[in-house]
Amino acid sequence: MVNKRLIAYLALAVSVLLLTGCGPAYITKGVAFPKMYEEQPKSLLILPPMNESTDAEAKDYYMTTTERPFALMGYYTFPTEMVSDIMKQEGVYETEILYNMPLDKYQEYFGADAVLFTNIKKWDVSYMVLASTLTVSIEAKIVSTKTSEELWKYTGTVVVDLSGGNTGNGIAGLIVKLVVAAVNTAAADYVQYAKVANWRLMGTLPIGPYNEYYMKDQGFKFIDQTSKI
Amino acid sequence: MKKIISLIVFIFLSLTISGCGAPQPKPLYSYGNYSESYYAAKKELTPESALALEKSIEYAIEHSNESRSGRVAPGMYANLGYIYLKSGNQAKAIESFEKEKLIYPESAHFMNRMIKKIEVSQGVTNG
Repeated sequence: MVNKRLIAYLALAVSVLLLTGCGPAYITKGVAFPKMYEEQPKSLLILPPMNESTDAEAKDYYMTTTERPFALMGYYTFPTEMVSDIMKQEGVYETEILYNMPLDKYQEYFGADAVLFTNIKKWDVSYMVLASTLTVSIEAKIVSTKTSEELWKYTGTVVVDLSGGNTGNGIAGLIVKLVVAAVNTAAADYVQYAKVANWRLMGTLPIGPYNEYYMKDQGFKFIDQTSKI
Repeated sequence: MKKIISLIVFIFLSLTISGCGAPQPKPLYSYGNYSESYYAAKKELTPESALALEKSIEYAIEHSNESRSGRVAPGMYANLGYIYLKSGNQAKAIESFEKEKLIYPESAHFMNRMIKKIEVSQGVTNG
């Protein structure tokens, strides 16, 4: 009886060790993004996103999701719609040009401490015979307008299985699945999942000055995307 | 048997306790349905969706005291001022930009630039 229990405990301990050994590598905010804590930017100029996805509308839609999470993390966020329009009035229509401008220009014009660049890497649904998946993937980085150095960078990805469980067998089942997938991928769904992707990004972002946890989160751990396994 | 019952009771208790744990802290700012109405206006800009966006910002501002900070969220007065500006209400636009500046000094440089722009355009039309 005692022996059996002991063996069970040992087996559990071994499997826990094995599991942790194979898991992702974690890193703390303080180690990953020391420049954020040194420079302590207070204001973020959120630029219109770059769109590398196959959906032309993704840019306009994703833009509506960024102000809120970054503000809630404690940063002063410049009004995105206004900034986007003003850049156009100044003759900058292409996001590519915006992303290659000297960064001190943003300090000079807006008085921003740092700029937030976002890149929509994926915003699509892949239809397969047995399962359809919706993917939203956002790469974000914060760059200092003082030193032009990258202070923070992370990629948030959400993959959703749209097949919605077993809808039946045979041809009829497949047709139902495809219909379900098509219905499920209304534009609003992308935005909903983009918000989830944003919160994955927020989990790695050092907290800003308007949040009470400012400069207290250096020990917070998250999955290290730079490590090669 | 007794052991199993006590185990079930324990699991049940821990589930209920975690279910009604510490109350969720209030969010730092009140946004109301700002991001939803911003999205709707981006998707299809109509007089109705534009008005709904304006109303949602005004609502978020009015309810700012319900948030953890008690402040209006960053950029909200600027967003509202910009909507006023686009509809030709320059006085109300300037008033909102001044409020943004007052709450968030980080915005002063940009807000001053906008206010100056409006004043210059007024000077041109008046002179």
